[in-house]
Amino acid sequence: MANAQVVASHPALATRALSVPSKRKRAWRGGLQRSEFVWAVAFIIPYAAVFLAFVAYPVVYGVWLGHDPALYAELLSEPIYQRTVVNTVLYVVIGVNLKMFGALLLSGLFMRRGWWVKGLLLIFVLPWAMPALPAFISIHWMLNGQWGLLNNFLWNVFGIDGPGWLETSRWLALGAVILSHIWKWMPFWTVILLAGRMAIPQELYEAAEMDGATGLKRFVHVTFPLLTNLYLICTLLSTVFTIGDFNAVYFVSGGGPALSTHVLATLGIRNAFEIARPDLGMAAVMSALPLMIPLVIVLMRKLRTTEVQL
Amino acid sequence: MSKLSRRSVLRGSVGLAAIGTIARPFIANAAAKTASVWWTQGFIPEEDASFRAMVAEYEKISGNKIDLSIIPFAPIRQKIVSALTSGDVPDVMSNYNAGLTVVPQNAWNDKLVDLTDVVDTQKSHYHPTALLASQYYNNVTKTRSFYYVPTATFVAPFHIWNSLVEKAGYKMSDAPKTWDAFWDFFKPMQKRLRDKGMRGVYALGLQLTTAGPTDGNALFHHFLIAYGGNRIVTKDGAPHLDDPQVKEAAIKALSYITTAFKEGYVPPGALSWNDADDNNAFHAKQIIVDLDGTISTELALYQKKEDYDDILTLGMPLDNAGQPIASQLAVAGAFVAKGAKNVEVAKDFLKYWIQPAVVNQILKGGLGRALPAMPDLVKNDPFWLDPTDPHHPPTRGRARWSRLCPSIRFSIPDTPRRTPSRFGGLPRPTSSGKG
Repeated sequence: MANAQVVASHPALATRALSVPSKRKRAWRGGLQRSEFVWAVAFIIPYAAVFLAFVAYPVVYGVWLGHDPALYAELLSEPIYQRTVVNTVLYVVIGVNLKMFGALLLSGLFMRRGWWVKGLLLIFVLPWAMPALPAFISIHWMLNGQWGLLNNFLWNVFGIDGPGWLETSRWLALGAVILSHIWKWMPFWTVILLAGRMAIPQELYEAAEMDGATGLKRFVHVTFPLLTNLYLICTLLSTVFTIGDFNAVYFVSGGGPALSTHVLATLGIRNAFEIARPDLGMAAVMSALPLMIPLVIVLMRKLRTTEVQL
Repeated sequence: MSKLSRRSVLRGSVGLAAIGTIARPFIANAAAKTASVWWTQGFIPEEDASFRAMVAEYEKISGNKIDLSIIPFAPIRQKIVSALTSGDVPDVMSNYNAGLTVVPQNAWNDKLVDLTDVVDTQKSHYHPTALLASQYYNNVTKTRSFYYVPTATFVAPFHIWNSLVEKAGYKMSDAPKTWDAFWDFFKPMQKRLRDKGMRGVYALGLQLTTAGPTDGNALFHHFLIAYGGNRIVTKDGAPHLDDPQVKEAAIKALSYITTAFKEGYVPPGALSWNDADDNNAFHAKQIIVDLDGTISTELALYQKKEDYDDILTLGMPLDNAGQPIASQLAVAGAFVAKGAKNVEVAKDFLKYWIQPAVVNQILKGGLGRALPAMPDLVKNDPFWLDPTDPHHPPTRGRARWSRLCPSIRFSIPDTPRRTPSRFGGLPRPTSSGKG
């Protein structure tokens, strides 16, 4: 009481005493007035609720389902899982690198002038624009060993009995899956890299030309250095996407023949729903995290602005 | 008129949400007479229509409401697994092979409602093998009980394209009567048909698949039983994996199937067949013979009389020693998971469903693809043994009922196995063979 009287009698002290907690509260509210803060919270609540319900909760529930170390021991002892890890690595390494390198080269092609280039680009982008599931199912049936389009073509035109592309050999099936993935996603990355190329100032090319750099030298000394960051970020992104890719494998080869082309995503579904072990399915999917998390961290670091030196 | 302010809007929104939270239990109680039922979509539209008609009838008689979901074969399995995992279950779930897959492991883990009181209402009508196949061991309560209510059964017949057999220059009347010789009978037809321009034809539709979930296991078990390995699990629930006869039968079964594949008599794609793919291969005349679940293979061609009549439906041959082979009896049924909100209505619905007259009507409405689990229905209703239909008698012949064993459960480690049972009498494999 005595302190309050002292504060009340001294205007400077009173103002100071009232403003310090008020400033702290405003800082906590992000500098907003109280009523504005309440409205801000009210608008965030629906987003937060949806995020919690459809992102956070399923992720936490999934982590909880797959938390038992015994599940990982069980997985590691399974030959199917061991093969699946190898498949996933091959699928990602070969699929991503071929896809991105192809996209890099094709983006150069589509930089050329001419109406035919635009037409070609339109056709080239169609696989990406098409819905994935019907496309992959069509590929599956085209590659059918008995009555697929490809083998019928080989027989009718060349008299060759084609192999069972998806039925007889793990490597043929895996190759078919990788090619399907590349066919589907290369157009997207080509367009991204094309946009990156378009952002390179023409003056740089003119200056390089004056110095005698043409063709390959121009690409090596001008284009690629300026595209490096974008290329790296796209490769990392694509790697993250491809590790979790499900559609190509599931709908093209189905994980066959004889479970030999499963990747982690499809094996997770198989474990969860075909052998009714959701916990084992989650463990299979979560076993990719030790690779995914470092990739995402590297990706986040690369997204910081860096300088390019020519 | 009150002024609408930001504060009042916020107050009102929070209030509504609070009321909704409090009011929910009362809303649920008001719907206490409704039960949700998941039923597997039939292989033919008539099955769904027949089941819907039964549900409508039940609703009229009982005053209860059934919230019916008819779900295709593959997705319902996933939904059942998801429901059981999350605990958010419907009141009744029904799937053709649930009794071989999810029911054993969930009964073992005490996640299902005991349905003995339901089965007891019609117990005297059921075939003993159907009852045996519907009991499961609960590892928590350490008791065996009914966790599955049988609503239909399946006995796998042979499906054979007679036109392909004749095109290859053979007659089914010449087919040997013993197991290995019967299968071998079709092998030379492959080359003859290919020489006549049928490039993609294969003799045998053996489902040596890693997909499934049913056909691959069922095929192996057929061979295992044919080679004398029926003792793999006995009536006391004990496995006999070290029994020399069982081991020998398993080796023979694997050898025959894999050798036929390696010799090129089976489509390479069979390695990844799901339960429908052998049917597809058969309909496409990619294979000559198929040993598979029901006469869904034939009924899918019901509207194409020429094809329907062309297919031969045969029962089991004899084993290699000339002795009758027990047929596996797969039981379709329904089960109730713990956590179901309306167990009372669920049980009442199930009791209605399994009344002989009701279940008979459902199955007949479905063109008889599935068999009743009650022998008297087969014996006394002329529909089931209609001699004018070439496909019904072989799967429903009176003789077949005398030698049945439950399908061997093939699900997950730690699940209890059911035991085969044998009955007396010598069945005569019935045949509608032409030629």
